[in-house]
Amino acid sequence: MERAERQKTKLITNQPYDESLEVNDSEEVASVYTPTPRQTVSRKSRRQVRAMANNSSDEYEEDSKPKKKESQPAGQQGLSENEEEDDDDDDDDDSDETESDEDEGEPGTAPEGAYDPADYDHLPVTAEIKELFQYITRYTPQTIELDHKLKPFIPDFIPAVGDIDAFLKVPRPDNKQDNLGLLVLDEPCTKQSDPTVLSLWLSENSKQHNITEVKVKSLENPEKNPKVIENWIESISELHRSKPPATVHYTRSMPDIDSLMQEWPPEFEELLGKVSLPTADINCDLGEYIDIICGILDIPVYKSRIHSLHVLFTLYSEFKNSQHFKALAEGQKSDTLSVPRSGTGDPETLTFD
Amino acid sequence: MILSRVKPAVGGESPASEKKKKNKGRKSPRVEDYLNQRDYLGAMTLLEFQRSVGEREEDADLWLGYCAFHLGDYRRAMEEYKTSTQKPDCPDDVWVYLACTHFFLGLYKEAEEAANKAPKSQLQNRLLFHLAHKFNDEKKLMGFHQNLEDVTEDQLSLASIHYMRSHYQEAIDIYKRILLQNRDFLALNVYVALCYYKLDYYDVSQEVLAVYLQSIPDSTIALNLKACNHFRLYNGKAAEAELKNLIDISSSSFEFAKELIRHNLVVFRGGEGALQVLPPLIDVISEARLNLVIYYLRQDDVQEAYNLIKDLEPTTPQEYILKGVVNAALGQEVGSRDHLKIAQQFFQLVGGSASECDTIPGRQCMASCFFLLRQFEDVLIYLNSVKSYFYNEDTFNFNYAQAKAALGNYREAEETFLLIQGEKIKTDYVYLSWLARCYIMNKKARSAWELYLKMETSAESFSLLQLIANDCYKMGQFYYSAKAFDILERLDQNPEYWEGKRGACVGIFQLILAGREPRETLREVLPLLRNTGNPQVEYIIRALKKWAKDNRVSL
Repeated sequence: MERAERQKTKLITNQPYDESLEVNDSEEVASVYTPTPRQTVSRKSRRQVRAMANNSSDEYEEDSKPKKKESQPAGQQGLSENEEEDDDDDDDDDSDETESDEDEGEPGTAPEGAYDPADYDHLPVTAEIKELFQYITRYTPQTIELDHKLKPFIPDFIPAVGDIDAFLKVPRPDNKQDNLGLLVLDEPCTKQSDPTVLSLWLSENSKQHNITEVKVKSLENPEKNPKVIENWIESISELHRSKPPATVHYTRSMPDIDSLMQEWPPEFEELLGKVSLPTADINCDLGEYIDIICGILDIPVYKSRIHSLHVLFTLYSEFKNSQHFKALAEGQKSDTLSVPRSGTGDPETLTFD
Repeated sequence: MILSRVKPAVGGESPASEKKKKNKGRKSPRVEDYLNQRDYLGAMTLLEFQRSVGEREEDADLWLGYCAFHLGDYRRAMEEYKTSTQKPDCPDDVWVYLACTHFFLGLYKEAEEAANKAPKSQLQNRLLFHLAHKFNDEKKLMGFHQNLEDVTEDQLSLASIHYMRSHYQEAIDIYKRILLQNRDFLALNVYVALCYYKLDYYDVSQEVLAVYLQSIPDSTIALNLKACNHFRLYNGKAAEAELKNLIDISSSSFEFAKELIRHNLVVFRGGEGALQVLPPLIDVISEARLNLVIYYLRQDDVQEAYNLIKDLEPTTPQEYILKGVVNAALGQEVGSRDHLKIAQQFFQLVGGSASECDTIPGRQCMASCFFLLRQFEDVLIYLNSVKSYFYNEDTFNFNYAQAKAALGNYREAEETFLLIQGEKIKTDYVYLSWLARCYIMNKKARSAWELYLKMETSAESFSLLQLIANDCYKMGQFYYSAKAFDILERLDQNPEYWEGKRGACVGIFQLILAGREPRETLREVLPLLRNTGNPQVEYIIRALKKWAKDNRVSL
């Protein structure tokens, strides 16, 4: 009993810093501390009782029991998490107790293996040396208190799963049942229409082009979101594909494309065999070059060249898309490999036929 | 059921349905089609278009409000309903819809005001019920609870309150009862899965969740929950893969739960990007604040962690634990007993609670509580019970070793201290001093001396010298005791250090005589003694020399 008591008191005296806290806390600990075992008792009560009995009969004097019981049983019951671990825990406990009983000893005064002058009494030494030895016991080593530091365990990061549908939701204005939160979760589907694309579609469909307000969103990290850009391009080109081709109303009369596609006179064709058409490299500015090309192709140029250019490109696209000329051009290509061509690619289909 | 109430909430619905039929005839897209797919952005775009071209007038706000609400755009929904309430012929029920939007925007006062303007309805009662929960008004809560009827929506609303109050089993009971009657209410499986997740039954949660995902594989809420289950069951990588999957299938215009996903990505990546993502989410996602606190703790920024959490009134175990941890860390850093006291109380509360006493965090709490109380026997009991989960974890080992050393079990304490890898702990004076003591108690004074040699000269290295000098003396390891006293004496002319050195030097001599120390060591003793200008030195040296001569030891 003495020993147990000494241990108890020693624990406290060892930490003078704590003394003031100690008074209130020990009471609080006891009260909240006891419920812990009660929760777990249901699972393991019998075993623990046995363990407790073992402890007390094997290791403690009758009168030391109450002292120890205060903390020990509570802890042990708290320990038993499940059946499998129980044996381990029991072992641990036992070993801990023996440790704390034997190794711990009296931590303050004489730890295991401490210097004991009596061990050296037998040494056959002169009186002078014996006197010298007294210097050893004349100094009493200080007991140095070391600080403890609790490294608080830092919990794992906590993912968020959200709350459960509380059925605080607005019904449909027509009062039809929407079954949201019942048949399906009340959440939008992952594939939402793009409002910009959809409104473009809608105005296209209804031929109502008077909607001025078209929201176009911007993208913050375009380099990280190639998918978004691709989707946008895809949906917009799909929109354009569905549109009828644009028609342009020329302010002045223009020859129609079919007449422009007629063959040149034979002499001119013959000449083309020897001389190629002027390329964009000739010494003139763009405007003059457009005039020259339009002149050769019988396209009138009025005040603005825009309309003439439109006719020119329409003509080009007509040739390009024509099955007849495509076949012809391919045939020619293999025939007339030696014929020098102008550097620019586009006049090709226009030039030969 | 609430959705088929007798009086139509919104009058004049028939023109809309007519228009829809007309739309069908014209082969134009119908709002209904978008709603069926829960493509609310599509529906809203169409509604706005119809409004702009004059196809829809009177009920457009209500439909837009409905769509915005279910899209999760509560601000927009609120605006639409506000517009509606300002119209002269506005149906009274719109007030409760407006109240719902306020509720989800966290405007609880406004929600209550608006709800009270609406006529009595089940929806209104449910809303007031939940508001009472938010206001922590138990009396009102009970009142509205009694008004709940035995209809599905009311019961489900009650279940969600159970869930929020951590009464997961009660919630599960309600869901299972309703599921038995309505097998096609698939969404309820997700609710059950959420409950099991909260109960830490992650594999059960996963199983129940699979039922829903089978029929709706692209559900955001379900996929996010699946990711969270993976996080708990496996690791952050597995969880992130699930979320990635969700991000890939979502269209760019999909904004719902985007914040939740961003938040969880930070979690799954172990805090990567926390400072960019989490601060704006504080008070939007309740976990965001906690996670930011955890992030700061991991960065050792205790003050910042404390600032974030000091005003939080804890309600969940996680919040109590975090408050405890932050107070413990801060209390020790600034030496505040008040903080330590709060920490100890919170730890005790969690560790002693029925739900947490058998969880690992619960055990850690109890251990921390006793650690702060310096009751190391109890600390060991709790730490032993969870040690298999923390093999090789520095934090755990640091606390564990200190507890063992405090109880005098120096052998195991030394082993455990030596398992620690982190430089930060290994240079902490608490670590160094306790390890030195363990070494000395285990008769490895030389290792303790080496710890001293590796230290920079400082107040701490001086303290360590004192520890080595005295503990070694106590343990009869006089050689290192003498060396330590010698340096102490040179740093500080305290006569006590001379007495210690004198005793230690004679102690070495005694050990030599007993054959426990090689005779050659005597050669090192003489210069140690000579470092001191004390008349006793000559007397001792003479005695030692005489013995050396007699015993033919060359000095």
